[in-house]
Amino acid sequence: MCPYCRSLAVELAELSGRGVVYSYAVVHHPQHPAFEYPVVVVLVDLDEGVRLLSNLTDVATRDLRIGMPVEVHFVPTAGGMAVPQFHQATTPA
Amino acid sequence: MNGQALRGATAIAGVGCTEFSRRAGRTELQLACEAITAAVTDAGLTAADIDGLVSYTVDPVEETELVRSVGFQEINWSSRVPYGGGGSMGVLAHAAAAIVAGIADVVVGYRAIRARSGATRFGGAKVAPSPSSGHSGTTAMQWAMPMGALTPASWMGLNATRYMHEFGVTSEDFGRAVVQLRAYAETNPAAWGYQRPMTLEDHQLSRWIVEPCIHLFDCCQETDGAVALVITSAERAADLRQVPVRIDAASAAGLFDQEIASDHYRADLSVMDGSVALAEQLFGRGGVSRADIDAAMIYDAFSPILLMQLEALGFCGRGEAKDFVADGNLAPLGALPCNTNGGLIGEGYIHGLNLVLEAVRQLRGDAVNQLDDPRTILVTASRTGAVLARD
Repeated sequence: MCPYCRSLAVELAELSGRGVVYSYAVVHHPQHPAFEYPVVVVLVDLDEGVRLLSNLTDVATRDLRIGMPVEVHFVPTAGGMAVPQFHQATTPA
Repeated sequence: MNGQALRGATAIAGVGCTEFSRRAGRTELQLACEAITAAVTDAGLTAADIDGLVSYTVDPVEETELVRSVGFQEINWSSRVPYGGGGSMGVLAHAAAAIVAGIADVVVGYRAIRARSGATRFGGAKVAPSPSSGHSGTTAMQWAMPMGALTPASWMGLNATRYMHEFGVTSEDFGRAVVQLRAYAETNPAAWGYQRPMTLEDHQLSRWIVEPCIHLFDCCQETDGAVALVITSAERAADLRQVPVRIDAASAAGLFDQEIASDHYRADLSVMDGSVALAEQLFGRGGVSRADIDAAMIYDAFSPILLMQLEALGFCGRGEAKDFVADGNLAPLGALPCNTNGGLIGEGYIHGLNLVLEAVRQLRGDAVNQLDDPRTILVTASRTGAVLARD
């Protein structure tokens, strides 16, 4: 249910895939075989106002910055699905 | 809510615990039975006097098993507190409310845990919900785990990094709090950190768990053990064996868009909103003055949330906890002696309830690191908390 209007209607909406890093956590331990470490976990504040927990894939730990502009890409999973991950924004805002 | 209704109406009349270890070698049910029996005996009561039970939703010990094991004769009321460890102090609010309402006379609060030797280590890499996790269906499972955020440290690390960013807090700032906690633990025979001194350099050299906020020594100790409390009316407690430890205020706050450890959707993650709401309940509507607090036992699953709670609870301004800690205020002679058993980081992690045990011991005057005659102690875990006091 939408907590603002109590609506039960659901629809898919295409977003820009753009946002900024709100926070990050570079996970070193414990390690699970499904991931390559360290895993860079980020909270991305999307331009549309939604916060999404995801990964940042192309940035060295020392270069991570809160406020960094990022863009989405989709990575296939073993189950035939895809998950959104992010990389540094390459196109102007 | 009229928090005044709880004020001083109930008291902790008994406490009990098992040893805290890395391998208990027995079930959570047995650990609970041992701690509860110790607490009931401590209060000068018998199992037949108990008519209420309260624990955490995530506790694996089931009530009917407990009743038939300990030998309770008739339980008239029971409840469980949500929010994982953040709900730990809600045990006190639930028990006090039931007693004030007249639906239970003597309530046992308990938590039994094998956080170290159990089927899954508490801080281990979890990739699927466990039936008792309390996280099932929340973002922790659905949205964090596919991204490799598999542990409480990884979830809370996101909040901690933002907090560091907002206020220029460093890992050394967290480390100074840990050094104080470990100093308390060093002289506590029940603690994991007993006779294990730790310096700031040791802290900084310990390996990263989550960069840039959580080194190994910022983490609590996954522990096996149990803690139990016996709570009854202040009037009845006055006639029992121990000095009563009054519950002067107690509350459990749950806010819109909060989650459990994976609490990522409130607007500003550099402040623990649940603790702000809790402080308003305790010090506002609860009628207790913050200035009366002699010491605090604050849920320190990871050191960053200790500093963040100090700010949210109003013991210092936002961004000032690093200075509050550096100035020695958590020490025995500081403005707010804190986690004098060593905390969850230094003593062990009985999911928060060992902090209540320590507060009771301090107020009774029989703590291992005894403070000078404390009369009022705050116990909090993020969004739940209570003010405990004695005459």
